[in-house]
Amino acid sequence: MAVAARGRAPWRPRLGRHRGLIVACIVFLVLFFAVDFITPGAFSYFELHFMSAGGATLALAAMGQTIVILTGGFDLSTGAVISLVNVVLATSMGTSAFSQVAFFWAAILIGALAGAFNGFFVAFVRMQSIVVTLATMFIVQGLTLLVLEKPGGTIAPGFTAFFSGDAIPHLLPAPVVVLVVAAVVWLLVKNSRFGVGIYAVGSDEEAAFAAGIRARAVKFWAYVLSGIFYGAAGAFISAQTGSGDPLVGQPMLLEVFVAVVLGGTLLGGGRGGCIGSIVGSYILMIIVNILLVLNVSAYFSSVAEGGILLLAVLAASLNRRSPIAFYIRLARDKLAARARGALASAHPSHGAAPQLPTPPASQPVAVSWFARHREGLGMIVPAYVGFVIVLLASQAVFGNTLTNPGYFDSLLVLSSFLAILALGQGAAILTGGLDLSVPWMIGFIGILTAGLIHGSDAVALWAVPLGLVLGAALGAVNGLGIVLLGLPPIVMTLAMNGILQGAALLYCNGTPSGFASSAQRWFMTGHFAGPRPVVWFLAAFVIFSVVLLNRTVFGRRIYAVGNSPLVARLSAVGVGGTLIGVYALSGFCSALVGILLSGFSGQASLGMGDDYLLPSIAVVVVGGTLITGGRGHYIGMLGGVLLLTALSTLLEGTTLPSATRDIIFGLVLLGAVLALREKRA
Amino acid sequence: MRWISTAFVAAMSLGLFAAQHPAQAAQQKYKIFLSMSYIGNDWQAEAANMVKAMAASKDYRDKVDLKVQVAGPNATRQIQQINAMVQQGAQAIVVYPISPTALNEVVRNACARHVVIIAYDAEITEPCAYNVHIDQLEAGRVPAEWLVKKLDGKGNIVVITGVPGTSVDTQRTAAAKAVFAKYPGIHIISEGVGMWSQAVARTVLTKILTTHPWNEISGFWVQVGCYTIASMEKEAGIPDNQLKPCAGEGSNGHRIQMLAIGAPGVEGAHATYRPMGEPSISYASPPYSGALALKLAVDVLEGQQVPKFTKLPLPIVTNETVKLCKEGTWQEMEQGCNVFQPAIISNPGWFASIYSAETPETGLQAALNGKPEQ
Repeated sequence: MAVAARGRAPWRPRLGRHRGLIVACIVFLVLFFAVDFITPGAFSYFELHFMSAGGATLALAAMGQTIVILTGGFDLSTGAVISLVNVVLATSMGTSAFSQVAFFWAAILIGALAGAFNGFFVAFVRMQSIVVTLATMFIVQGLTLLVLEKPGGTIAPGFTAFFSGDAIPHLLPAPVVVLVVAAVVWLLVKNSRFGVGIYAVGSDEEAAFAAGIRARAVKFWAYVLSGIFYGAAGAFISAQTGSGDPLVGQPMLLEVFVAVVLGGTLLGGGRGGCIGSIVGSYILMIIVNILLVLNVSAYFSSVAEGGILLLAVLAASLNRRSPIAFYIRLARDKLAARARGALASAHPSHGAAPQLPTPPASQPVAVSWFARHREGLGMIVPAYVGFVIVLLASQAVFGNTLTNPGYFDSLLVLSSFLAILALGQGAAILTGGLDLSVPWMIGFIGILTAGLIHGSDAVALWAVPLGLVLGAALGAVNGLGIVLLGLPPIVMTLAMNGILQGAALLYCNGTPSGFASSAQRWFMTGHFAGPRPVVWFLAAFVIFSVVLLNRTVFGRRIYAVGNSPLVARLSAVGVGGTLIGVYALSGFCSALVGILLSGFSGQASLGMGDDYLLPSIAVVVVGGTLITGGRGHYIGMLGGVLLLTALSTLLEGTTLPSATRDIIFGLVLLGAVLALREKRA
Repeated sequence: MRWISTAFVAAMSLGLFAAQHPAQAAQQKYKIFLSMSYIGNDWQAEAANMVKAMAASKDYRDKVDLKVQVAGPNATRQIQQINAMVQQGAQAIVVYPISPTALNEVVRNACARHVVIIAYDAEITEPCAYNVHIDQLEAGRVPAEWLVKKLDGKGNIVVITGVPGTSVDTQRTAAAKAVFAKYPGIHIISEGVGMWSQAVARTVLTKILTTHPWNEISGFWVQVGCYTIASMEKEAGIPDNQLKPCAGEGSNGHRIQMLAIGAPGVEGAHATYRPMGEPSISYASPPYSGALALKLAVDVLEGQQVPKFTKLPLPIVTNETVKLCKEGTWQEMEQGCNVFQPAIISNPGWFASIYSAETPETGLQAALNGKPEQ
C-alpha cells in the first residue's frame, strides 16, 4: 500500500520492466492485423499453421541467443550449430520410432556440447565471447561439411509430422506447442536461482560475484542452455524441411540478433528475456508477408525492411526519457536561453587557469618502457606471435615465402582492405558499438564511384573524393540515428546496410556498369619503388590511424566514451559528437575500401563487400580490443589483420578440402587469442 | 527446342494432351509470383531482368500478372515467402531456390493446393516441382576434358571452386576431379574457394600466387574467374601469346578475351577487357533459365504437358566458336553470336550466355533493362 500511497499504481513499475516486450507484442499485432486486413479471406487454421511454423526455427535460435546476450555475451556460432544438428539428423536418423526419439535427444546434446565448448572458454578461460564463438562457428561449419558436403539426406516423416504437423488437427499446430514448451522451459529457468544468476551476471559480473553468485558456473551453464535451444532449433528446421543442407543455418545469424533486439533485450546484458525474442522473430517473419501484400518491388525490399526495423525499434524506445525527447527539450531550453540572453556563451569570461603546485624537484623514478606498456603489449603481442607462427608454417609448407619479397608484397596488398576497415570498425567497437553497414557501404560507394568514373582518370579526380565524403556523410547518418534517436548501433547500421543495398541496386538497375580508371588500377596492381603503391599508402594509413586514436583529442574521447559514456559526459566529453564522428570515420573507411577494391578488381560488382563484415570484426577483436569498448590498440588490430590474412593465404595455397580449412582456421583463431584472456577474476 | 518438342510430341502421341482451361487465358491473367533468393549479385539481377522482360513481352503481358519478391539468403524466409504467396492465391510460383532440399515440405504443401512450382538454375528435389537447369556434372566434366586435351594430359593446374556446401559446386568440382584423376600427368597444385565471384577470384589467386608463382602453373579450371586470371597475367607481364589455358565462366569479359588478337569491329575495349586470344573454353549456367521457367509455368497453367525436368543445353563457347554480336538482338544471337560489345557491356563480369532457342522474347535489352524484344 505504501506504493499506492505515493500516488503510483502498484503495477506501474512491473509494467515498465516489461516495456520492451509489450511494445514488441503491440508491433507484432499491428503488423499481423495489417496483413490480415489486406489479405483476402479470413484467417484460417492453415494460415495459423504455417505462420507458426515459419518463425519457429528463428524463435528457438533467438531464445538461445537471448540467454547469451543476457549474460553480457555475444554468440556468432548460432547458425553453424543449427546447420550441424540439421545435417547430423538428415544423414543418420532412421525411420523407427526409437531412432527418431534418440536423434531428437542427439540434437539437444549436440547443441549442448557446442554450448559447453563456448561456455568453457568464455567462463573458465575468460576469453571474449565474440572471438570464442567466431572460432566455434568456423570449426562447427567445417564439421558440418565433413558430415554432409552438399544438401541431401532425409528426415523421417514421423519426425516432421510430430514437430511441424498438427498437435490437434484443425485446432492446434505442433509448432505452437513446441514454442509453448520452449517458453515454459525458459520461464522455469528464469524464476530459478540460475535464472536470477543470469540476469545478475549480465548486469554486473563483479557485483554478482560479491553477492555470492557463482558467476563462472552461471555463465558456463548459460551457454549450455543456449546450445540446447540451438539444438532444438536445428531439430525443428530438420522437421520443417525434411532434409539436410549444410548451409541452412548460417544466413540466420543476423536475423537472430535483430529478433533479439526487436524483442526488447538489451545488448550488453542484464535486461530483456526470451519471450520478447519469440515475438521479435515473428515480427521479422511477418515482414516477409507485408512486403508481399504491398508488392514492394525487389530493389526496394531491403530498404523497406530496414525502414520497418527502424520504426519497430523506435516505437519501443519512444517516451519522455528517450534521447530524441531529451534533445528536443535541450534545443527548446537553448532557444529560450538565447532569447533571454542567458546562454553561457553570451557571458564572456576568462578561461579557468588554476595554479598548479610546482612539482618537487626530485628525479622521477625511471620506469622501463616495457613496464609502462605491459598491459598494452599483453593485448597486442599475441596476434603478432600468431602471425610469426603462421609465417614459419608457410615457409615449412611451401619453402619459398620468407625470402620472397613478392610474398610480403601480396600479403600487404590483401591486408590493406581489412587494415583500413579495422580503423573504422575498431573505433566503433572502442565506443562499445558495431558497424554492420560495412558490406553495402563498400558496395554502394564502389559501384557509385566506378559508375561515375567509367575508366576516366580525370573524373576520378573528383569522383573519388566525392565517394569518400559521401561515405563519411552516410556514416554520420548512422551516428545521428544512434545518438539522436537512441537506436542500438546494431539496428541502425543494419538498417543502413539494407537501405544502401537498395540504393546500389537502384543506381545501377541491377547491373553495375562502371569500371576503374587506369590510375586506380595502377594504385592496386602496378609497382612503385619496389612494392605496389598501395603498400606505401598502407604504411601511411597505419601511422595516421595510430596518431588519430592515441595522440588526438578525438581519439582519447573515443576511449572515454567506450569506458563509460556517463563518466565521459560528466567530464565534458561531447559523447554525441564523438559517436557521430566515429561512425563517419567508419563510413569513410568503408568507402575507401570500396574504391580500392574496385581498383583492385578493375570493376565494381554487387556484393563486393559481403565478405568483409565478419573479418572486419574478427581482426579488431583478435588484435586485443574489448568488444564492449574502451580498450584496444590499432597496432594490435593490424596484427590481427596480418595474422588472418597470412593464415588464409597459407590455407588457400593448399589442396585441403574447405571443411578442413574451416576447422584449422577456427582452431588457430582460438589459439591466437588464448593469450588474450582476462586476467582478473 | 529439341527436348521440349520431343516431350511435347510424346505427350501428344500418348493422348495425354487434353485442353483443360481453354477460355481462361483470354479472360483473366494468371497470378504468378517470382521468389528470388538474394538479389545482391550480378547473376541474380540479370536473371530477374529477363523474367520481367518475359512477363512484359507481347505474348505474355496479357496472360501474366507477375509479382517479384526477394527472400534474401535465408532458407526459412523463403519458406515463409512461398507460403505467403500460396496464401495470396498464386497459381504458379517461379523460384530461385536457396536450398535444393529445405523447400521440399513447403513445395509439397503448395503442390497439394494445385500451385505450380517451377525452379530455375538451381534445383528443388521435391518430385512435384518442375526444374529448369543445366546438368552440373556436364558443366564440370566438359571444361575439364577440354583442359586436359589442351595440356596434352600433363601439367600443374589450379582449381577455383564456387560456394562450398552447395550441390552445384560439389557436383561440378567432383565431375572435374574425376576427369583429372584419369590423367596421372595432371596435378592439382592448389584449390581456392572462389564463391562464384570475380572479386573473390582475384583475392584467392593473389594468395595462391604468393606460394605458386606463374611459371609453376600450366592451366586453370575455374567456376568463375578466367577474366580475372587473364587480367592478372597481363599485370604480371605475360605476353598475349603465352596466356595459360583457362576453362571457366561465361562472362562477357572472358569471351572478349577469347577473341583473336586484333579481332575486327570490337568497340569500347580497354585495358585487359580486349581481344587477346586467350586459349579458353567458356561454359555457363545461363541466366535466361528464369524467363524460360516463367514460360513453362504458363504452359502448365494452360494445360500443356511439361516434363518435370527441363535440361538446358550446356552453353559452350571455345576460341573457334566465339563470335561478336553487333546489337544483341535475339535474331542475331540465333545466327551464332555469343559475346557483346564492351562499349555496350562495360562490366566484364556480366554473364553473356543469354541466348536460348526457346526464348525469342528476350535479347540483350531484356538482360540489361528488362525490356522484351520488339
